[in-house]
Order: sequence, then structure tokens, then C-alpha cells
Amino acid sequence: MTAVVEVEQLTKRYGRRLAVDSVSFDVGEHEVLGLLGPNGSGKSTILRVLTGYLRPTSGTARIAGFDVSRHGLEARRRVGYVPEDVPLYPTMEVAEFLDFMGRIKGLKGAALAEAVEYAIASLSLHAVRNLAIAKLSRGFRQRVAIAQALLARPALLILDEPTNGLDPRQIIEIREMIRSLARLHTVLVTSHILSEIEKVAHRVAILLDGRLLALERLDPAGTRTRLRVRAQGTSSLAIHELIARQPGVERVEPEAGPSATEGDCFVVSVTEPQIARGLVSALVEGGVGVLEVGPAPTDLETRFLQITGRQTLA
Amino acid sequence: MTGFLALLRKETKALFSSPIAYALIAVFLLIMGFSFAATLFLTKSTSLIQVFFQASVLFLLIIPVITMRLFAEERRNGTLELLLTSPVHELQVVLAKFIASFGVIVAMLAPTLVYAVILALYSTPDFGPLYSGYIGLLAMGSGLLAVGLAVSAFSANQIVAATISLGVFLAMWMVDSLAYMLPDPFDQLVTNASLLAHFTPFATGALYLSDLGFFLSLTLFGLFLSVRALERR
Repeated sequence: MTAVVEVEQLTKRYGRRLAVDSVSFDVGEHEVLGLLGPNGSGKSTILRVLTGYLRPTSGTARIAGFDVSRHGLEARRRVGYVPEDVPLYPTMEVAEFLDFMGRIKGLKGAALAEAVEYAIASLSLHAVRNLAIAKLSRGFRQRVAIAQALLARPALLILDEPTNGLDPRQIIEIREMIRSLARLHTVLVTSHILSEIEKVAHRVAILLDGRLLALERLDPAGTRTRLRVRAQGTSSLAIHELIARQPGVERVEPEAGPSATEGDCFVVSVTEPQIARGLVSALVEGGVGVLEVGPAPTDLETRFLQITGRQTLA
Repeated sequence: MTGFLALLRKETKALFSSPIAYALIAVFLLIMGFSFAATLFLTKSTSLIQVFFQASVLFLLIIPVITMRLFAEERRNGTLELLLTSPVHELQVVLAKFIASFGVIVAMLAPTLVYAVILALYSTPDFGPLYSGYIGLLAMGSGLLAVGLAVSAFSANQIVAATISLGVFLAMWMVDSLAYMLPDPFDQLVTNASLLAHFTPFATGALYLSDLGFFLSLTLFGLFLSVRALERR
């Protein structure tokens, strides 16, 4: 897979403070990489270096092969960036703003008009295209910010905390949007919320105090091979043994949690997700009441806590 | 070029759609009109020397108000990040803001040309000082705008930017009075940095390349500092 983003030993200092410390990673084509870490862990600084807004103290960062320091303009042509605070010009109308942003990205004539229409259609902005940005809701402002990032059809889309300040419905919309954008673009997204990253990213980079602690691959939804089974039977041990005997089951771990009246919980590692159906049948036939079977929550939080050695996220 | 023109259009629209520009132009013209009428009736003189000096002093007060928001507001709203992460050069961003604000200065001075027309209709004025006076005002306006722009580029707060610009302008305006207290060659050096010393020949009808060069250098220095301020991140 061709790397769209290549970061090597990237370091950024603000005076004496070390904001990013020798971070290296790469992101392939159409991949969604989530940068995860508490506030102040260096996520936004890394994005700002990649977009050319900040100069690295040392190390290199390349976008589609162009060094962000030495070939900044070329690198920036290949990036669509949505900063965390969604900065927009409030007095401009949506279409006017997109036209302006398209022009400063070097588009003109028919290509510009087409790009603006594409962005409006992609983000469903038809209804607000002639409204002043100041009059838009936070959700629509976020969409406008993403729309401007899409104008020049960039190879890389960078989204800094894209769900911040949105209501649950808007969060779901933005999440769906990121998934669909990943079909056409490489996406780099930051969040300090574990579940957000889990739902959109293929891989996650865990950052703490400016250091990259781990790069983990996430199982996409529907392909998870860790199931959570909640069942009620004569004894926990009997259910455990019954599950462990089933073909395709690799490991069964009891999960601490609900009281006995709510059944026993197990995290079951299986060879493939389809095993779940056979497992349910076997349990029912064995006289066990199956209360719940579903994908086990990924243990990203556990991993994060293990890696960072901290008890809670900021 | 498309990017630069888009930036220029955005800046011009932002300046002229704000009531600040119109309020400044109105106040400027009101004071200038009073000054012109008073000079004309009291001295019966057919020159605009007093008007030019009046305008130059008003520039010291008005230009900080024009330039204070140019970068400080973009920085506060976060839109500077949007601009500087787009494929445009810092110089394009600076030049667009500079040229758009220069448009405000031109819009301020253009209606005052009617004073010259009035003088020409009812007398035979010496046109040399009129031309040089306007050239001087444009040159000084350009220098002050560039310095104000640089101050704004270094500041995140509009009031701080305006106050610093005003302080710098007033210091440069009055610095030649300090020259009387200094020994040679320091008196000459200080006088060379004086706005008043370089503007006076323009207002009185003497056009020296050295004075034009001073304001041009001031403009280039201000623009250079503005670009450096944007690159320093």
C-alpha cells in the first residue's frame, strides 16, 4: 500500500516544552488513522505540522512524497484540513465561502464551479447554500468546514476532533460521513474519545505527552472475532465448558460484571464471526438461556490504560 | 494569481462591508472639509498645505484603526489557520490585506480632490504642491499601513495592535524634536527616521527621491515584517 503520509522522527518544541517527541508513522491510501490521546498529548500539533501551519523542530513529514517544510505549497495542495474550532468567515454565505476557498486552493472556471457543487452535494448543503455562515447550526458549520476541505479532491483529509460540540445525531452523521470519505481519501482523524476512534478508524496511534506509545490495528465492525456472550444456566462453569467445546472457539474468558440474576458473561475468541450462530444453537440445545451475544467491546481502553499506565483518560 | 485575487476580493469586501471604514472616511472628510474651509476663508490662500498636514496627522490616528483587525481578527477567529494551511504564500496573504487597506486610504483621499477643483475654478493655484502633497499622503499612508499591518501580524489582540501602532506612529512623527537635543551625527540619524521631516517637503511642493525612498522603504520593511510574523510559527 502506497503511503500518503510519512512521518519520521517528528519533533516539535514550543520553547522549552516538548510538544511532539520523535514521532514516526505512516498512513496508506484510503486508510483511516485515528490519533488518540488525552488533551495536550500532541495530536493537534502533529496535524498542524502536516498541514504546514507549524514548522517541525526536527524530523520530516511528507504528504504524497512532498516534504511539508521544503515543498510546503505542493504538500498543502494535497491536503484538506478541518481545524478543531471549525474556523469560518461568519459574514460569508456558504456557496461564497466555498468559492473563495476553492480559488485559494488554485481552482478556477468550470473546475471551481464543479468542485463547489460536488462539495455541496457531498455534504448535503443545498438547503443552506445561500445562508450566511453565522446563521448555521454547529452541525452545518462542521459540514461546511468539511466541504471546503474536499474542494480540491485532496489525497489526504485531516480532521481535528470532528465531533467536538455536536449533538448525538450530528455525531452519528459525521461518523458516517468520515466512513464514506475514506472510500475516496486517506483520512487522519484525532479524538480524545476512544469510542469515536474505534468506530471510524482502521488503525489507531496512541499518544501521550507528545510520544507515540503504540500503533494498533482495529477490527472493523462485523469482522470482530471477539464475542461477548451473556447466558444463564445451572452453573457458570458448565456454560464455560459448553462454549469452550464448540468448534471455532479459541478461548473463553469469564467477564466480571452483572450479578448472577443477570446471567454469566464471557468474552469468547472465535476463528471467524460466523461462529456466533452455531454457538447460540449449541447453548440453547444444551439448556442454557442465551441472554445476549454480540461483538465484545474492543479492549482499546484497556490497552490504552496498560500502555499509558494511567487509570483514566483526561 | 487566482488565489491572490480571491484573497484581495475577500479583504476588500471585508473592509468595505464593515461600518468601520465608512465611519473613518466620514470623520476624515468632515475634519478635512472643516480644515479646508477654515483655511480658505481665514487665509484666502490658494494652497492645500494646511489640509495636507491635517490629513497626515489624521492618518496617524486613523490607520491604526484600519490595520488593527487585519491579522488580529483572523488570528482570534482561527481563520488565519485556514488561510495559511491553504496552498497560498504568506506574501500573497499580506499583499492582499495591504492593497485592500490602501484602497481605504485612496477612498478617503479621492473626495478631497474636490478641494483642488474648487481652487482651480476660483483661482489659479500652483499645481506642483497639489500633486506632490497627494503623492506624499499616499506614500506616507502606504508606509504607515505596512507598519500597522506588521504590528497586527504580531498581535492577537486588536486593541493592543492599535495602541502599539499609534505609539509607533506618534514616536516616528515627533522624533525629529529629539534631534535638537542630540549631537552630530545622531541628530541627523534621528531626523532621517522622522515622518514629519520626510512629509514636509511633499506638502510644501518639493518632491525628493530620498523622501519617496523613505516611505517606500518603510512600506517594504512593514511588509517584510508581516511576512516574517506569519512565517514564525
